[in-house]
Amino acid sequence: MKTDNKLKGRDLINIGIYGAIYFVILFAVAMLGMIPIFLPLLSVLVPILGGIPFMLFLTKVKKPGMIFIMAMIMGILMLLTGMGPWPLLTCAIAGLLAEICFKSGEYRSAKKAVLSYGLFSMWIFGNYLSLFTDYEGYFAQRADYGQAYIDAVQKLMPLWMAPVLLIACFVCGLLGGLLGRALLKKHFEKAGLA
Amino acid sequence: MAYSSERSQDARRGFLDPRTKLTLVLVLAVFVMGGLGGEALRPVKTILSALPFALLLAERQWKRFARGILMLGIGYGLLTVMPFLPRALNYLALLCGGILTRFVVTVVMGEYLIATTSVSEFISAMEHLHVPQAITIPMSVMFRLFPTISAEWKSIRRAMRMRGIHLGGAKASQVLEYQLVPMMTSTVRIGEELSASALTRGLGGPTRRTNICRIGFRAQDAVLLAGCVFVVGVWTLELCGVRLW
Repeated sequence: MKTDNKLKGRDLINIGIYGAIYFVILFAVAMLGMIPIFLPLLSVLVPILGGIPFMLFLTKVKKPGMIFIMAMIMGILMLLTGMGPWPLLTCAIAGLLAEICFKSGEYRSAKKAVLSYGLFSMWIFGNYLSLFTDYEGYFAQRADYGQAYIDAVQKLMPLWMAPVLLIACFVCGLLGGLLGRALLKKHFEKAGLA
Repeated sequence: MAYSSERSQDARRGFLDPRTKLTLVLVLAVFVMGGLGGEALRPVKTILSALPFALLLAERQWKRFARGILMLGIGYGLLTVMPFLPRALNYLALLCGGILTRFVVTVVMGEYLIATTSVSEFISAMEHLHVPQAITIPMSVMFRLFPTISAEWKSIRRAMRMRGIHLGGAKASQVLEYQLVPMMTSTVRIGEELSASALTRGLGGPTRRTNICRIGFRAQDAVLLAGCVFVVGVWTLELCGVRLW
């Protein structure tokens, strides 16, 4: 069955609804990142918790472009909340990969949905990029947090952490996707939302 | 001939154009919160930091103003008492103070943007900027939903607290399932109603949507936008190694 593939008002509003839930969860968790030990852990916590709204979102995705737009909006919001321009780039890449992956499952496959969320989660790595690409500058900008904070973060975030964090985003994205699916089955389908 | 609705739109018109507000949020996020430019831009940043508070006063948002000032006061208070505290507390005070003084300003600016911009104004401004609908519609839905989500979450947390489900309570492990799931369920339901009402009013329709609200640049917008250009200019000069002071 060939359906109209153009995004309609309702699709765009759906992106807004689930994007808002995803962003609120992201923001609440990101506040923890102020404590040094949680900074690397964000790449674990955000993908896992964000999986719940995102898997619900994927049940509404039936047309190409929705995942990509969602990713770009996250990038714009990161820019507005002071995370720098890097997330825009990673959002574009991760959003595109996630889109292609979910499309290959014809927007129905549950396995592809989980994999797609894993790929989507890799955009979070963009928030760390300003740290890794300009190691000295990043800490110079945060001098007013005190030397103790800088020492703690430098100890937690040596350069070799970069690939580890990227993989962590992906793997935890898969876990988050599975968690999201489990909750989808347990609650949202019963409530008639999925 | 002036229609009465046009007059009422004029009366409701905000102090600033939404586009100016967005530019200010971006500049504050990059320079004050992001810390771009470092110490050299300190005087410029001080002026920038005062801006959202002045704007809140101009729009007569007393409550938000008081809350912002209070948070900022706590931040600077912590930084002031910091040297007199014992070692462990000293570190904590410095960190909390540093975070508060840096974040409060941008948060207040964001609050100002959301509190004083109606969805119509936002959409109209975005149309003037030729931003595609694929971005404006989701964004405006999000801005409309943020206050709703936080209100919903607050009441759900209160309800679950009565059943002992909260962080640090006896059933802390159930927090995720029993707080996030209802929050999402109710947000999605509210969102669906919102979507029905927005579609009825022609959002996302095939033809161009007209808009009654008045936006446009006035003297205050010009001054503030010039200020933004000035900040970026100073920063560029700084990058090229030129010091203005």
